[in-house]
Amino acid sequence: METAVFIVAAIITVLSAFGVILAKNPVHSVLMLMATLFAIAVLFVAQDAHFLAAVQIIVYAGAIVVLFLFVVMLLGVDLAENLRVEPIGGQRPLAIGATVATAVLTILLIIVAASDSSKPESGDLAGITQETGNTGVANLGRVIFTDYVWAFEIIAALLTIGVIGAVLLTRRAKQQEVEEEVVEKEGGQL
Amino acid sequence: MNQFLDDFGLSIMVFVPLITGLIIMLIPRAKEELIKQLALGSSLATLGWAILLTVRFDIDNASTLQFVVDTDWITAIGSRYIMGIDGLALPLILLTTLIVPLCIIYSFNHWPEPANPKSFLTLILILETGMLGTFVAQDLILFFVFFEVVLLPMYFMIGVWGGQNRRYASLKFFLYTLFGSALMLISFLALYFLADGTAAGLDVVNTFDMRALSDGATGAIARTSQLWIFAGMFLGFGVKVPIFPFHTWLPDAHTEAPTVGSVILAAVLLKLGTYGFVRIAIPILPEAASAWAPVIGVLAVIGIIYGALGCLAQKDLKRLIAFSSVAHMGFVMLGIATLTNIGITAAVFGMVAHGLITGMLFFLAGSIKERYHTLDMSKLGGLLTDAPRMGWVVAFCAMASLGLPGLAGFWGEFPVILASYSPAAILSESMFRTFMVIAAVGTVLAAGYLLWMLQKAAFGTAGGGSVDLTPGATPHNGDGDDHLPKANTAIKDTTKREWIAWAPLLVLILGLGVYPRLVHEVVEPATEKSLEINVGNIKYDCLELSPSSATDCFNEIRNRNG
Amino acid sequence: MTTLNWGSISSMLVLFGTAILVVTVASLIKSSKKDLLVQVMTALGGLGGLAAVIIYWHRVSSDGAKLSFADTVRIDHLALFIIGVISSIVFLSALTLKSFFAREKLFRAVTTEIYVLILLSATGGAIMASANDLIVLFMGLEVLSLAAYILAASNIRKAQSQESGMKYFVIGAFASGFFLYGIALIYGATGSTKLAQISQKLVSGAFVDDGFLLGGIALFLVGLLFKVSAVPFHVWTPDVYEGAPSPFVAFMSSAVKVAGFVALIRVLGGALIESAADWQPIIYAVSIASMAVGTLAALVQTNVKRILAYSSIAHAGYILIGIQAATKDGFAASLWYLAIYAMLAFASFSIVAAREGAISGNSINDPNHIDNYRGLASKQPFLAVIFAILLLAQAGVPPTSGFYAKFSVISAVVDARSYPLAIVAMIIAVAAAFIYIRLLIVMFFTPADSSLLGGATMSKTAFSKTTSKTMSPITQLDASENSDATFDKWKKLGANKLNLAVLTLAAAFTIAMGVYPAPLLELAQSAAQSLV
Repeated sequence: METAVFIVAAIITVLSAFGVILAKNPVHSVLMLMATLFAIAVLFVAQDAHFLAAVQIIVYAGAIVVLFLFVVMLLGVDLAENLRVEPIGGQRPLAIGATVATAVLTILLIIVAASDSSKPESGDLAGITQETGNTGVANLGRVIFTDYVWAFEIIAALLTIGVIGAVLLTRRAKQQEVEEEVVEKEGGQL
Repeated sequence: MNQFLDDFGLSIMVFVPLITGLIIMLIPRAKEELIKQLALGSSLATLGWAILLTVRFDIDNASTLQFVVDTDWITAIGSRYIMGIDGLALPLILLTTLIVPLCIIYSFNHWPEPANPKSFLTLILILETGMLGTFVAQDLILFFVFFEVVLLPMYFMIGVWGGQNRRYASLKFFLYTLFGSALMLISFLALYFLADGTAAGLDVVNTFDMRALSDGATGAIARTSQLWIFAGMFLGFGVKVPIFPFHTWLPDAHTEAPTVGSVILAAVLLKLGTYGFVRIAIPILPEAASAWAPVIGVLAVIGIIYGALGCLAQKDLKRLIAFSSVAHMGFVMLGIATLTNIGITAAVFGMVAHGLITGMLFFLAGSIKERYHTLDMSKLGGLLTDAPRMGWVVAFCAMASLGLPGLAGFWGEFPVILASYSPAAILSESMFRTFMVIAAVGTVLAAGYLLWMLQKAAFGTAGGGSVDLTPGATPHNGDGDDHLPKANTAIKDTTKREWIAWAPLLVLILGLGVYPRLVHEVVEPATEKSLEINVGNIKYDCLELSPSSATDCFNEIRNRNG
Repeated sequence: MTTLNWGSISSMLVLFGTAILVVTVASLIKSSKKDLLVQVMTALGGLGGLAAVIIYWHRVSSDGAKLSFADTVRIDHLALFIIGVISSIVFLSALTLKSFFAREKLFRAVTTEIYVLILLSATGGAIMASANDLIVLFMGLEVLSLAAYILAASNIRKAQSQESGMKYFVIGAFASGFFLYGIALIYGATGSTKLAQISQKLVSGAFVDDGFLLGGIALFLVGLLFKVSAVPFHVWTPDVYEGAPSPFVAFMSSAVKVAGFVALIRVLGGALIESAADWQPIIYAVSIASMAVGTLAALVQTNVKRILAYSSIAHAGYILIGIQAATKDGFAASLWYLAIYAMLAFASFSIVAAREGAISGNSINDPNHIDNYRGLASKQPFLAVIFAILLLAQAGVPPTSGFYAKFSVISAVVDARSYPLAIVAMIIAVAAAFIYIRLLIVMFFTPADSSLLGGATMSKTAFSKTTSKTMSPITQLDASENSDATFDKWKKLGANKLNLAVLTLAAAFTIAMGVYPAPLLELAQSAAQSLV
């Protein structure tokens, strides 16, 4: 059963990932990305990593991809598309197909989840044992703040770099400021 | 004082030129006088120091290393700071310390284009440190470092002060030598890791110490490994010598180098290669040396003949002298290949003699070029009438170079021929007798090209090229004319500066020719020791056995070690 | 419970803390002295990191390696050695940047951030050096690289720099993907991401799947070999180095590369030493390919930055040789080579940066073209001599540090009886010498083309006077001394006193390590001893 879920989800992941880079319309590209992320979430569920699956969907699909969409829209996809012409031929049959596929996937997921409840929880990260019988989320929290606390702290540095880099790369000087400094520097010591 | 000399004598001798060089770098170039005097002073001081060491040198024990220094250097890679000199190194050290001040005197107020005495003198002094260091080093890595230190100053000397093709020549010189030494370094490393002195009673396992390596620490190395290791060294030293197929850098380098550069190159640099054979390759790997000796012999005699024929094909005087170096170094290598005491002693003598004579010839070529503005032999001539004293000096050196008995060159050639008549027993006698015959032919050819050169350069009158020297003068052809050609007054005879620079060399050429024992006395015991195979305190005479029993002899050493 | 030994990570805290402090202070102060303040703080940050290293070196010598943060951080001699190298580079970088900013007219807000990014990138390197866990290693790598990507793109006035940053980012992200996948597979095979536990599993043979392990090692290697730009994953290097601002290339080619290699050494020499037979052939092939391709490609370049970039690929090959030996001596040799090479690369690219400055006022398309180094010996003799020393060291000529660097790696493989590798390496070294000699010839033996100097210092007539023989640059020293004002200006812009001081220091280090390498070599050896 797990194998079947894997195969279906993996195919969707790979195909939609190709879609991301092949699509000509940025909006399609973003939607494809969303499909990729969803399919990965399914893979996570199949591995009993429910929390990760949830995070995947909430953070990526819910926040990041939406941000992407905002950016894409704001940058102006004002291509004055003719709404009467269907952008993709056979969109309707495709939509039906997609609905069916989603339904199948959902059923698969339910079956997997149901079959899992019988066996002990095996979704542990980094091989830590489940001495307390806590749920996955609690375990994750514990692992992050014990074994991987250092890696977790390092993320702070990563985020700092992200912020500083964004500022550095996007900032444009006011013309006046530049001239001022140049004058100052050439006049002063070098 | 004596203790001080023993401990620091060699280090001071080696590093004084370098330190002076560094000081000169700090002096502003405007103070040219100071720079020159400092450089000359330090090179003379080094010579004086070397003479002092020679006086203190115990000639009765010339085969043992003296003034030995042995301290930690780079423990992490097993290399130590070991220096010492014996009879093999002493003559070469004296030669080096003598040549350098003479070169400085020769170029005093007389710098090769484009002048800049500051850089020029700094390079010469760094070069001197490199050369002396190579002769005194007793650790393979220390040796290698000094061996390579020599490379750069010479590279810059050719590249900056050289002739038209200086870039090509300097690059060729650099890459050839670097290539050789690269493989040599691998050989040194292999020796280090394969060496094991425990069976020979030495307290070392892995070592770069040349003393331990030649005292049996290499006995256990398998024959094939020895052959490969020797091959690496052969390339390294052979390129520097240069042995026949690797010689092509030499004529280019000599032709392009400034006079002083050529002198140092011929007088000392080439000896670093042959010294490497005598000091390192043969004593450390006698078995491989005996296996490689025929190859060395063949290449040596090819070099002798090829060099001589090459000379006859040259138009440029400096190129001719360069090719004659190839031939002379062929004799030295043939002497080494015989693996006999006579042969190697003669080879060392040949190194010194060649240093004096060829160095002198390059000085002369430089002076001739200065006077006639060309070295094209078809345009030269008439030196004997234009500048008679210098003409006679040229004649004297040509005679010395062709091996006239009574002059130094003779003792570098004749005993070599003698030694190849009866090489070490392990070598094929018939083969070396063939070499002997070919080498003898080489001496005849040497007489041929040197006399031809003398005739072109010194006899007759200057050819058509030097119009500006004698405006209106009709060229003479000297031969059948009843009147002597008129001297060209525009040509100055040997100057005082030149006499000062040359006199010591001329005296030594004559002196060593008349009394060769001066060198033999110190070299011979050391040579004898370098051919001895000692393992522990037992002496093996594998080299003096017939090939088949020699194999057993070497195997016995190996089993003893294994 | 997890012990948090903050003291042991003091060097990382110093670097990171300085970065935060610099941002904070810079945003609060509006004085015109801010530039100087930021620069001094960064330099002190580098020195502070070094000081922390020195203090801890002795503690580690007496108490042994310190593990903390649930064994994910391991402060041992290896970590400290590398952090020491990286901190020194930070210190030197901080000193050299100012003239570059002035020249490129980068305004203040950006310059502050550049100092911060250098400090943060160095923090990442330090994290990698002390990582005892694959996840931490990955995080460190990301911190290190992300900052480096931004540095590469940081000259916002130049499209080239932006392009270079983009390339670096895309390739780097790609490599990180491989790296992470490799980690996942190794985790899959051994059930742990901790280096010590992986090693134990391999020793006991109780790992899950050999196929996973091999796949993991392969992907892990692909990722890291990208980072250290070894052939066949090197294609990005020349492009990125060419486009990125030279002072940051100096930083990237030294500190960033050192960190990449230390990750290789930590994992291959520590965790995966048991399966050395699996990865040795890969490293063997990659090292030969890197040496050969780097050298051959460098021979045909005409841009000095590209020449140095390809030569850095060749050097990566030499460093891999030591790793290939898979012995303590081999790792020590590689570490020592790394330290030496970091200094050489840093100083060489700094010279390129200084030289760019000298001609940036000129209308030449490519300021790094080899022709712009013609006759450097006459224009900037001091710079030329220093560059010559650095180049000769890269060629491996004694008595420079580069000789012992090459010597020790080759010695390690000879010890491991890989004679063919040693011979190939030496032969390539000779070919490589040609690269550097070519630059020397251009600088010392080729007269400066007067047109490049705007015809100011040396006129064509001056050449024609000197008969048939071309004038060598050394004689022109005097001519250049009484040059005009523009020349003085570049001298100031190109290489101010502080830059020259740093370069002199680098040259002195290079010579000193060539004459008496013992102390640093011993440090490298004790660093290698601390591998698990």
